[in-house]
Amino acid sequence: MSPIYLFFLSSGLFLGWSLGANDVSNIFGAAVGSKMLKFKTAAVIASIFIILGAVFGGAATTETLTKLGEVNAVAGAFMVALSAGLSVYFMARTGLTTSTSQAIVGSIIAWNIYVGHQTDFSVLTSIMTGWVLCPILAAFLAVVLYFVLKKAFHLMHLHVLKQYQLIKTGFVFAGAFCTYALGANNIANVMGVFVKTAPFEVLRINALTFSPEQVLFFLGAIAISVGIFTYSQKVMATVGKSVMKMSPFIAFIVVLSEALVLFLFSSQGLRNTLMTAGIPALPLVPVSSTQAVIGAILGIGLLKGGKGINWSITFRIVAGWLTTPLTAMLICFISLFFLENVFQLPVYFRQ
Amino acid sequence: MFHIKMPIFSHTNELEQKIDELHDKIIEISMVFKKAVHLFLKEQRSQNYRKLSKEIKTIEHEADVLRRDIENRLYAQNLIPDFRGDVLELVENLDKVINEFDEVAHGFYLERPIIPETYHEQLLELVNEVCQCAENLAFASRAFFKDFSSVRNYSKKVYLLEHESDKTTAKLVDEIFSSDIELAHKLQLKTFLSEVADIADLAENCIDQLLIYVIKRDI
Repeated sequence: MSPIYLFFLSSGLFLGWSLGANDVSNIFGAAVGSKMLKFKTAAVIASIFIILGAVFGGAATTETLTKLGEVNAVAGAFMVALSAGLSVYFMARTGLTTSTSQAIVGSIIAWNIYVGHQTDFSVLTSIMTGWVLCPILAAFLAVVLYFVLKKAFHLMHLHVLKQYQLIKTGFVFAGAFCTYALGANNIANVMGVFVKTAPFEVLRINALTFSPEQVLFFLGAIAISVGIFTYSQKVMATVGKSVMKMSPFIAFIVVLSEALVLFLFSSQGLRNTLMTAGIPALPLVPVSSTQAVIGAILGIGLLKGGKGINWSITFRIVAGWLTTPLTAMLICFISLFFLENVFQLPVYFRQ
Repeated sequence: MFHIKMPIFSHTNELEQKIDELHDKIIEISMVFKKAVHLFLKEQRSQNYRKLSKEIKTIEHEADVLRRDIENRLYAQNLIPDFRGDVLELVENLDKVINEFDEVAHGFYLERPIIPETYHEQLLELVNEVCQCAENLAFASRAFFKDFSSVRNYSKKVYLLEHESDKTTAKLVDEIFSSDIELAHKLQLKTFLSEVADIADLAENCIDQLLIYVIKRDI
């Protein structure tokens, strides 16, 4: 890997860092905010499982994103990822919970417009369907899980101390599953645009064989881990304390719902199984983990009469969803112009 | 209903047992206290009363040891701070009820109040009410840890009994101050009655907090 390539890849790594700082906070925010888990414990679990998810489960959503826009010049990929990363970073600075998925799609569309490529609207529709379905599905799953697990808890007749111990342990497993699913679903946002220009070769470690794509995803996942360790603690405090006064049980339901939603939108195996069984499967697209969390919280909130939700914060989050892709599009379009005309770097190759 | 045995629960079992024992202490001290007041009215500060007063002191001391042990274990368990705080507060409030039983019983022993026979029946009624109040507090607190749905039933009983004890106390105080005994004697009796009634008041305060914990914890 040449230093120049590493320089270009740095924007993707920056995007991964942003993802680690923001999206992982949605998963462990409640647990760390309520001091159920120590930040370091959460960060270590999140890092391990996000790497596993990215390397072993990230192919399907990446394929979808590549279909939206096949960025074929590394300088172009650099700017697409950088624009997405910058927009996520700026939004995070304003205190809004942002969405990396929308930012990268906004940037890719800007690249398509800039280079004159026709955006595949069927893929875009598929991705946007995923965005719409994601919070709805999360809300539905949260309500179902709430009823099922509440009933199970009552049947078990557990001592309050045991209930807490069980929820705490459940949090660790749900958090691990959720970070795996996040890695699988969102690595496309971080490294997807670099797949076509990746210079890596097949890597063999004992019996394990890693494709060039997987090596790229591994680097992206490392960047996400750095984001978790360096910046997520602050965001976790915001997520844990300000969205809703959640009981540990509800916080656990929210994380589990998020995990299931992210997994449903990224697992090729599950999709094949569902289709074999004749069940309509979901498109394998990168979705926003933030949307999933908000959907799950809203589902529970509505179930409980909507009294526990801070609506002003919820609306600020919704505003962030809209402004993030638009900001990314604007930054990307202007930056591609400068990169090509001022720095004389090719941002695309004609095929 | 089914019970599960899991390694993740191994640390909580001992703590659960200690909390259960603290509840047992409330029931135990309340029963001994009832016996002690009966005896005091019959025999004043006799050897037998002294024995019961000592027994109450021992129970109070054992409860203190239990409370400290529970507090230490709560920190060792690494529970959520908010939940740990609530349990600590609850345990401390339960201990206050136990302490009050001891203080009243010891007061009888030290001050040897002379209680005219006309008030015996009403005093025993009051003692019965506050003891039932404390016992129902123990049941409610135990239910908080094991069965949320029963907390409300026991709490209601505590509220009703506390209200009854207030009425009984007021009636007795009124009768005492309408009598011909000396003012100093009247004031001493009033102080004793207030202290007995305080047991029910402490139980009621504890229930108020318990009901808030239930709302916070109900999943």
